[in-house]
Amino acid sequence: MSRRFAAPLDAVDTADGAVSAGGTRIEAVKRIVADDPYLGGHYPDFTIYPGVFTIESVHQTVRRWAAERYGPGTAVELTSIASVSFAAPLLPGDTMSIGCDMTSQDDPSSVRVKARCHRADGALAARMTLGLRIDREGGHDDA
Amino acid sequence: MTTLEHADIRRILPHRHPVLLVDRVLEIEPGARIVTTKAVTGSEPCYAGLDENLPSAAYAYPVSLLVESFGQSGAVLWLHSAALKDEPVEGTLIFGSARDVTITGSACPGDVLRHIVEIDRIIGDNAFMRGETWVGDVRIATLGSVLAVVRDGLASDDS
Repeated sequence: MSRRFAAPLDAVDTADGAVSAGGTRIEAVKRIVADDPYLGGHYPDFTIYPGVFTIESVHQTVRRWAAERYGPGTAVELTSIASVSFAAPLLPGDTMSIGCDMTSQDDPSSVRVKARCHRADGALAARMTLGLRIDREGGHDDA
Repeated sequence: MTTLEHADIRRILPHRHPVLLVDRVLEIEPGARIVTTKAVTGSEPCYAGLDENLPSAAYAYPVSLLVESFGQSGAVLWLHSAALKDEPVEGTLIFGSARDVTITGSACPGDVLRHIVEIDRIIGDNAFMRGETWVGDVRIATLGSVLAVVRDGLASDDS
């Protein structure tokens, strides 16, 4: 699968967004697979999805949504991690569900995303608040 | 001032290729501060499978890996300092949390990340750290607080 940005792995399998008055809700799913890139070294004797890859998963969730909404040339940059904490470990065979609530800041290109990542058994794996900049320049189509 | 080479880093950290993201330790003051480097190259897996004719920004080193590289640098400082005191830290090393991380620039293939990490405090199996990441004379990230944790019982085989 080809990509338009450097990334350690495909950190999202599917993503769906819905816009409401209060903001945008995006939900995504990522199945943890031991032979994904980078996981072989984390760690050699047993595999655990690195905590920072949940940040990558949330970032790619917003990228997917932005590419669908504003066109494939849309760039989504991570500008801040206000907070992130990691709880239950994600192991091969786990399915992570990612829920993102996105709100616009004063500058409409900058958004704040509050995300929670859960395992299929309901355990909270990670929660975070990220700042991202969505740059529609280069996206040819506004549809 | 002590330095550590790649062989030393591999003895300290459990991470392996391609997610061992510290190349060299330029300076280390045990218990206090470390300066590390990580070279970014176009041959890393994160640059595989990219489309053709992308803008320069597409080649920015992923923030997730940058933060991991910073955290690993802090872990080298913590674990090496503990070993020097003959108080080795046992268990699975994990990233616990981070706060107040601001990304103000980016690195691309050919750049060398330079992390400066200071230990704020250590409480049991938790190390709180903070610092900055530079490329040349440009600061590209400020990390207000990063928590590294060691936990028992994560590996299925605890032997």
